[in-house]
Amino acid sequence: MELLRIEAISKNFGGVAAVADFSLSQDDAEISAIIGPNGAGKTTTFNLISGVQEVDKGQLHFAGTNITRFPSHKIQALGVSRTFQNIRLFDGLSVIDNVKIAYTSQLGYRVFDELLSTPRVRREEKLIEERAREQLSFLGLEAHAEQKPKNLAYGLRRRLELARALMSAPKLLLLDEPAAGLNPAEIRELMKTIEHIHRERKLSVIVVEHHMELVMNICSRIHVMDFGRKIAEGTPQEITRNEKVLQAYLGDMGEVC
Amino acid sequence: MGSSIFVQQLINGISLGGVYAVMAVGFGIVFNVLKFSNFSHGGVVAITAYAGYYLSRNLISDFWLALAATTLIGGLAGLLVERLVFRPIRIAGKPLTYFFVNSITVAMIVQQFFSAMWGAHYFSYPDFFERTAFNISGLIVSRTYLLMLVISAVVLIALTLFLRATKLGIAIRAASSDIYTPPLMGVNTDVVTGITFLIAGMLAGITGFFLGMTYTVTPFIGSMMIKGIIAAIIGGMGSLAGGVIAGILLGVVEALLIAEVGSSVTPIIIYLGIVLLLLVRPRGIAGKPYTVKA
Repeated sequence: MELLRIEAISKNFGGVAAVADFSLSQDDAEISAIIGPNGAGKTTTFNLISGVQEVDKGQLHFAGTNITRFPSHKIQALGVSRTFQNIRLFDGLSVIDNVKIAYTSQLGYRVFDELLSTPRVRREEKLIEERAREQLSFLGLEAHAEQKPKNLAYGLRRRLELARALMSAPKLLLLDEPAAGLNPAEIRELMKTIEHIHRERKLSVIVVEHHMELVMNICSRIHVMDFGRKIAEGTPQEITRNEKVLQAYLGDMGEVC
Repeated sequence: MGSSIFVQQLINGISLGGVYAVMAVGFGIVFNVLKFSNFSHGGVVAITAYAGYYLSRNLISDFWLALAATTLIGGLAGLLVERLVFRPIRIAGKPLTYFFVNSITVAMIVQQFFSAMWGAHYFSYPDFFERTAFNISGLIVSRTYLLMLVISAVVLIALTLFLRATKLGIAIRAASSDIYTPPLMGVNTDVVTGITFLIAGMLAGITGFFLGMTYTVTPFIGSMMIKGIIAAIIGGMGSLAGGVIAGILLGVVEALLIAEVGSSVTPIIIYLGIVLLLLVRPRGIAGKPYTVKA
């Protein structure tokens, strides 16, 4: 079933078209990838999906809802979680609190309850605590729960971002260059983790990634961007043979070869 | 200074320091989230000092009820200021200077309002209790000061627990380390900043009530806020605990100096001391180095 539908979205930054007429359809159980050279508009596309930036043109539909002008927190509450290319954890918070934060979707309805700390609030806090520990152990971080994120090794911080993204039980997970900065062993580990998450949590995943081994191995569909436009879409096999793609990646060298 | 006067001034200093600490935290909590120096806090302090005076003179004779009502008024005033003054510029993505200037403007408007309305009058709070002081083995301890101390301590502990354990508290702390990412975790930043100002306003309410009780209420009572700001700065911006320590320290030093050298020389010594302290340790007692300042 279709979960996310992107209809011809565009975004300009002062005359530069970061994303132009980009469309995509994502099923509720697939892992797909958006690839492309640096500056192709991949991260901007993620920012548009998660509401960090507003589209200039086009529409976004998620799980039957038109989310085109929705603020980030509402899009997240509907079930879109993401991680970041440059890890964005809350340095002032412990590892477990970093995970707990993502369970605030209902925030605001019961502000006064919370200020008065009623029994219901305490029950809820306990539930959040349990859920947060569950995410940490799911990703093998339970031993680090009370530490500050900056004391964790880089690979563990990437995992922590994943744990935080899973806390809200999302339907769609957006991973922005999850392999960046990882060594080959860690990347293989990450591939297993992503497939594990996909299988266990039954969610849809879109990865933006440069690491081709990861993309080719775990993604069933690949969207290729160049200068903000989609230049190709298909299975990994189709993409590796696509001439436009080779040209975008290798320039004219592609033809010479 | 005799030893009994010393102990007495020490107790008074700690109590007054408790109020400075509450001010420092009210000022600091907004700074942490939005990264600007919120001078409008002094405006809310002034509003609540007047409101507390009006309530306790005319409507509520019970100390606790009057304090609770004033705290609530402070919270609402804080919410209102955020809603009317800061939210529009935050949503429009204006630079920090706008926040800074607007916060001073709010403080000035409040001060001028009270000057124009009741500038010629000095108001003093009623005596809430028949017994205004206790005699503890030769030491005279003012009931007001003792209450200030106990209430400040309780409020600061409650706030610490709130920030540490509840999901709203976690959201406020998360917004303090990075205000742009929480929405992607499903946090409504409008609610979080609203609550932050509500809390700051409630703290201002407590401060305003106590300052009103301790001193007389004048349009310039909001400028007492400078003590809270100083405490927040020497405590270290970004650290609420540092603000509490510095607040109490400031109160104690002030009380002891007043007993020793008099109330006119004391501020000179204190301000000089602060300049020197910040030269030696610019980040304050417990602060992290900050690059953003406005």
